Amino acid sequence: MRRIPVQAWVGLALLGGLGVLSLLAGRVFPEVLASTCPLGNDPTHPDRSVCELAFGGLWVSLAIGLAAGGLSTGLGLLVAAVARLTGGAVERWVMRLADAFFALPDVLVVMVLQLAGQSLVDAGAGAGLGPFGLMVVSLALVGWAGPARVFRNRLDTLEGQEFVAASRALGGSGLHLLRVHLWPALRPFVLAVFLSRLPAAILAESTVSFFGIARMEPMSLGRYLGTSYVALIYEGGTRVVIPAWMLLVLLVLGASLASQALAPRTRQA
Amino acid sequence: MRQLLVRLGRQLALVPIVALASYFLMASLPLTTEDDSKRQVSPELAASYRRDLGVGEPLGFLRPWQKLFRGERLGTSAQGVTGDELLLKLSGSVGVGLVALVLALLWALTFALLKNRWRRGRLALLGDVIPAMAFGTPVFIPALLLAPSVVERGSLLPELSAALVISIWPGVFLGTLLGDALETELARDYVRTAASKGLPPGVVLRRHVLPNVLPALLDAIGPVATALLAGSFAAERVFGLPYFGQLYVLAVLQKQVAVVVVATTVFASVLAVVGLAVEGVRLIVDPRAREDRT
Repeated sequence: MRRIPVQAWVGLALLGGLGVLSLLAGRVFPEVLASTCPLGNDPTHPDRSVCELAFGGLWVSLAIGLAAGGLSTGLGLLVAAVARLTGGAVERWVMRLADAFFALPDVLVVMVLQLAGQSLVDAGAGAGLGPFGLMVVSLALVGWAGPARVFRNRLDTLEGQEFVAASRALGGSGLHLLRVHLWPALRPFVLAVFLSRLPAAILAESTVSFFGIARMEPMSLGRYLGTSYVALIYEGGTRVVIPAWMLLVLLVLGASLASQALAPRTRQA
Repeated sequence: MRQLLVRLGRQLALVPIVALASYFLMASLPLTTEDDSKRQVSPELAASYRRDLGVGEPLGFLRPWQKLFRGERLGTSAQGVTGDELLLKLSGSVGVGLVALVLALLWALTFALLKNRWRRGRLALLGDVIPAMAFGTPVFIPALLLAPSVVERGSLLPELSAALVISIWPGVFLGTLLGDALETELARDYVRTAASKGLPPGVVLRRHVLPNVLPALLDAIGPVATALLAGSFAAERVFGLPYFGQLYVLAVLQKQVAVVVVATTVFASVLAVVGLAVEGVRLIVDPRAREDRT
């Protein structure tokens, strides 16, 4: 069994630590945070401290990132598997579609999907999705293209290996190959791709929420900053912006460290 | 030649795909229901939705473009846009984006040189921390930090400030690529051969190394252009610039769906033009691309 690089442990520990901290500080014991926050109360939410809002927002942002990252990775895997199993024109067109999705910025497409989703929810056709679910689905619909391209290329490479050719020569079907031979080789790669989607989803959500397009309640980090940005400009909101910014940076740093450290291992596999 | 045409075709195919996908998505929205509930659209907006998108008409997807070319207003009278206004707003955003691109190239060169220097010292960690910080910082954060100076003192032009905050991540991203590519190329045999023949370092860099580094940078121009244009949405919102990004965000917030369709397609067209320009530059600077052509 190969050792997991130290860099990956550091990244995962950072992510886990931030998750536990935001759960405890932002959700379980918010009153402790409110009474000890050195940054004082928020200028636009006078009844809440800056720490409460930042850590509460971190918990929401992290939850959205994990759910959307997981869903987009799963969708990408499914699309890549279906494309490779069918092959030919279907595979070509699916990959063209993925390229088209990939060319557009996440933020722009998420804004359009939020507009569409909110209109459906308002008309009572939202399939029970709230703001959280709507954001997760929007981010997953945007984020599947990258993982699909990565997984499809990886599957293509793996299928050129001798053990796959041998299994095919022995009469193994496409599904058998995928389940028994390809999936075990692909599995560690999935974690790296998931971790690489995590910061992208969090940043896209933050920006869209900052614009006030998503109606996230409780507030995510982006919505927290977006609800009061005009006041922040005039009141010198550095003490409000910097904690939220640092939490975002640490979150992205953790996911990036773990993702980068795990990706080369899987290439060597 | 065929490969080149296929590449160009792929760039251009993005525009009709985005135009049709955004049209049919918007045209299928249940916005026409007039209701007193607070989240439903106003009767004026519902009427403009049907009128501008040509809902239920044959070739209705051409309607928004027809209106734009006739000089008519898309959307409601107060918040809609005409073709001329759209072009004006787009030129504003592209102008900010071009200034940001120049700044990003400056940051890239600076960061690549600094990273190369730090690699041998105690500051090597900064070469990894700065890209992580830049990637983890959405454009609206530096914009919020810079906004008080712009608003209160008026000492900085909002456009220049927007270009400055938009250029940070693309600059660091390009700098990381440039630094890595330079390091790889400088270690190759042909560089040692050129230096041993007595060529000055500047000439070796310009004549031998840069032509091999440029294609790698060209591959990054697409994502960088996307990042610059997407970043302009947040920067224009914070600095109150009335350009394309602000138009797009307001169109989504106010459910001006015809404007969203047109603006999304225009955005895809700008990306396609950038892609075509990159292919053109690649033909000039990369001999391998010219060999594909013959």
